[in-house]
Amino acid sequence: MITFQSVIITRTTPMKVLSIVLNGKTVTAKMGQTILDLARENDVFIPTLCDSPALEPAAMCRLCTVQVIEGKWPKFVTACNFPLRRDAEVVTDSPEVRQGRKLIIELLMARCPTSRELQRLAIDYGCDLGRFSPLNDDCVVCGLCTRACEAVTGRTLSLAGRGTAIHVDTAFQKASTFCIGCGACVQICPVNKITMEDVDGERRIILHGKIASRVKLPQCTSCGKFFGPVIDLKQVMERMGEHLIPPPNATVCPDCSRRNLAIKLGKRYFEQYGVFEEEGQADAG
Amino acid sequence: MSGTVCACQENSKEIEIDYGLLDKIIRDDYGGNREAMIMMMQAIQQVYRFLPEAAVEYLSQVIEVPTTKIYEVATFYASFSLEPKGKYILSVCTGTACHLRGSGGLAKHISERLGITPGKTTPDMKLTLETVNCVGACAVAPVVVIDEKCYPKADIAMLNDFMDRLNAE
Amino acid sequence: MIEATQTANPTEVNKITSPDGLKLFRQELQSRHDPNAPVVLVCSGTGCRAAGSAAVVDKFKQVLSGTGWNGKVLPLAKHTGCHGLCSRGPLVVIEPGNLFYQRVTVDDVEDIVNKTLLNNEVIKKLQYKPANSKEVIEKASDIPFYAKQTRLVLKNIGKVDPTDIDDSILRGSYSALAKVLTRMSPQDVINEVANSKLRGRGGAGFPTGLKWESCARQEGIRYVICNADEGDPGAFMDGALLEGDPHSVLEGMAICAYAVGSNRGYMYVRAEYPMAVKTLRIAIPQAEALGLLGENIMGTGFDFKVTISTGAGAFVCGESSALMASLEGKVGRPRPKYIRSVEKGFRDSPSNLNNVETYANIPDIINNGGDWYKSYGTERSSGTKVFALTGNVNNIGLVEVPMGISLMEIVNGIGGGIPNKRKLKGVQTGGPSGGCIPVPHQIPDINVGYGKLAEVGSIMGSGGMIVMDEDTCMVEVARYFVNFLFEESCGQCTPCREGLIRMLEILTRITQGQGREGDVELLEEIGKFTNNFSLCGLGTSAANPVLSTIRYFRKEYDAHIRDKKCPAGVCKPLFHYDIDPETCTGCGLCKSKCPVKAITGEKKKTHVIDQSLCIKCMECYKSCKFRSVKIM
Repeated sequence: MITFQSVIITRTTPMKVLSIVLNGKTVTAKMGQTILDLARENDVFIPTLCDSPALEPAAMCRLCTVQVIEGKWPKFVTACNFPLRRDAEVVTDSPEVRQGRKLIIELLMARCPTSRELQRLAIDYGCDLGRFSPLNDDCVVCGLCTRACEAVTGRTLSLAGRGTAIHVDTAFQKASTFCIGCGACVQICPVNKITMEDVDGERRIILHGKIASRVKLPQCTSCGKFFGPVIDLKQVMERMGEHLIPPPNATVCPDCSRRNLAIKLGKRYFEQYGVFEEEGQADAG
Repeated sequence: MSGTVCACQENSKEIEIDYGLLDKIIRDDYGGNREAMIMMMQAIQQVYRFLPEAAVEYLSQVIEVPTTKIYEVATFYASFSLEPKGKYILSVCTGTACHLRGSGGLAKHISERLGITPGKTTPDMKLTLETVNCVGACAVAPVVVIDEKCYPKADIAMLNDFMDRLNAE
Repeated sequence: MIEATQTANPTEVNKITSPDGLKLFRQELQSRHDPNAPVVLVCSGTGCRAAGSAAVVDKFKQVLSGTGWNGKVLPLAKHTGCHGLCSRGPLVVIEPGNLFYQRVTVDDVEDIVNKTLLNNEVIKKLQYKPANSKEVIEKASDIPFYAKQTRLVLKNIGKVDPTDIDDSILRGSYSALAKVLTRMSPQDVINEVANSKLRGRGGAGFPTGLKWESCARQEGIRYVICNADEGDPGAFMDGALLEGDPHSVLEGMAICAYAVGSNRGYMYVRAEYPMAVKTLRIAIPQAEALGLLGENIMGTGFDFKVTISTGAGAFVCGESSALMASLEGKVGRPRPKYIRSVEKGFRDSPSNLNNVETYANIPDIINNGGDWYKSYGTERSSGTKVFALTGNVNNIGLVEVPMGISLMEIVNGIGGGIPNKRKLKGVQTGGPSGGCIPVPHQIPDINVGYGKLAEVGSIMGSGGMIVMDEDTCMVEVARYFVNFLFEESCGQCTPCREGLIRMLEILTRITQGQGREGDVELLEEIGKFTNNFSLCGLGTSAANPVLSTIRYFRKEYDAHIRDKKCPAGVCKPLFHYDIDPETCTGCGLCKSKCPVKAITGEKKKTHVIDQSLCIKCMECYKSCKFRSVKIM
């Protein structure tokens, strides 16, 4: 029985390699490679918001939308998850694409005007920030925190509600007892609206101005300092894919170990904006 | 669909959960299969007229799905309620045919008279007002559904009559 | 509380153990069936049920079971699915003779039994008269509403009791499945369906044969899924099919399963259709008990088990990937469709998802051939389509017509035209994903087909067809649909979530008299953006009602924004009523209808509306026979 996949292969090129015209330049791509991946390989910049190298793409923010022409007509697709399966032409910065990204940024700025990342994008795309009345100064519903939480324990954060009422939440809006305080959500939030504080031996994750979880911290029997929980990194690596996260350094204390892990999670995202916090969490913006 | 502070579970503290019944629903009727979770939740809601937190927690343990995921499902689908519903549930159909025949005005009238918005319940717990998207009885629009019974060609007089009788109870 | 499934006493029923066995079973039923025995067919479709038809059936059964029946053969009273002419319900058809009675109440039952059934006397007051005519039409088949239709997929509805499988088998149900299992290979089936050029009836119109072909080619366990999440407000075709002739749909699914190599089927029914679920919970076990579904169908070794799954109130679950997520017990959030669900769908496995009406077409295509199906309809849109004709039209109900039929023929010939002497303004197809077609003024007519409807900025959609007259405000219609989608959007992607709330803000302002210059341009900009950048079909078609009303009814938008006026007299802050002294006859009808006593005037003298009291309820406007109440 001929499978669908093999039919495609015989129609294009024999060695699972595709010929893609990327912004006018011909490059080669692997069968099934995403446009975003291909663009990064070829130093073509496509803005993203809800993308993370540690997680499966969700294509929720739509910021990475580009145009692809596989047959006759161009279509708009998200670069982060569109798999190239035929020879095609890709245009990442056409006027229509830029116009759409401009609108996305304007709409999201109305949800979170204080975000540095969004402000930077707004300048790049010439956004008119007076067009839409501000709705909030909070979450941009990128879903990164819930996806990161799901990858670690999956028991704390989810996207509740729907439509405009969609919001990140814990079960019954109560402080979660399942959270392990790993801080992945804090580190990965691109607009820095999730924060973490350690108070009197208790770690609190704060979201939408409320305490979303409380985690009792163990106290060092030697120095008396409270320290964060040791994450079962093996579990994390299994879930996220070993190739994305380097093996933990056993001589590093839990604080630094956690920070390193979280930095790796958000590394590529922060880097493209030249934002690379050395100490604590990125809440200076 | 909640987006505000959840006062929903205050009333549920008085609810007695029959775990044997929950077991029957979850394990016997649906084989503990988490794919049937939505139908399990509907069956539980049928019993208690809403989804009590304790029942959700038990469901979570039995089918091994985190409570946060069940909460996600409960807040996504419009038919689930995390607050106890009233004795009667009155749904005004807002399908296109009903809308063109003025169902919006009917909903507004009830809202004004009872002081509640769609989705909410009167303080005396007698009536929950809801809107529903097309029940398929377009020929007899506008349609009002009270406890699964369709009332054709509803008008303000009929609704006033119902609310008067409700007050008398 | 779980509803217990009803079975047809399986211990007493013998399974059909071969396709020939089905033929014999049917012949047996035919031999016992007397075509001259009187049957009373009472419509139990949603509309008639809402108007009280359940009590009518019960009363018939009660009266007919009483002692003292003097006729030759005791008539049988049956409840059936939707007869179609919903605006005249509750409907009763008496066979033989095809005698049609409308607006039947419980109080009419005894009369019908005594006069019509016993004495062959026709009760005139219950007979059908077209709007604006006094001439009765006796037979259902002679009524233009029915005569002008081409009822293929609806042929059994109204004739069979959906809770008695014998009725359906008698009319041929499962004969196509028997043919497929004995004389056709899976590829033969796919070829026949492809030959018919049947296109998905859920709205997108994807070629069904091609979908089955791709699914059949995949590796892994295949699933056959029926999308019965008919969420378009104003559409009830699928509900009627499931409630009226469930076996045609089940048979279609089974044939699909054979063709694509599947043994598992799922029927996803929206929560707002409890009657459809109830009917299926009776029909499926009845079919299984006879060996027509389930394990070892008709002794051929082919298994096909169908499970019913219910929605929980989310329009977006009509989108195929959201439906599959919901089937897995998750939130109904659509997934990007770059990998088609025929490759990876339910449980990440190849899944064939089709609409109820699509499956219902399959048995006849198998029995009569793809060429037969193509003899109806047009080159690009073959076969027939069921529409739910509602709105400002005389004959509201379910109609089935060949593709390519003129829209005006549907509205006038079948629909009986516009009531209350109003003028037609447009027809909306495709529900919240469609557009308004401005017949007859801007477009004189259009032949109904997938391509043609798309050309004018609408879509075929699942079949909702809403007729709008001159009293409809198109800006308010756009606002209504945007509001609907705003409540139903899953919210995960920026363009749909944010675009809809912004469009709703703008449209609401406009309908309240706070429109601004530039609003229409902004709506167009957001609309095109939403159409191009959204993640799923809900978002990519969300702006259609807005863009199409702007395209054809720009003047109305301008009137709202610049003149702060609503020409159709709907947006209350933007109009008031005045009585025209030139045409007012002083008859006093408006005064009697006014619920707030805002109209004063003496007999035969011009009446006057007190604007400070007027609540703009429309009663005077609707009732004035001289059209003297003017919208200002």
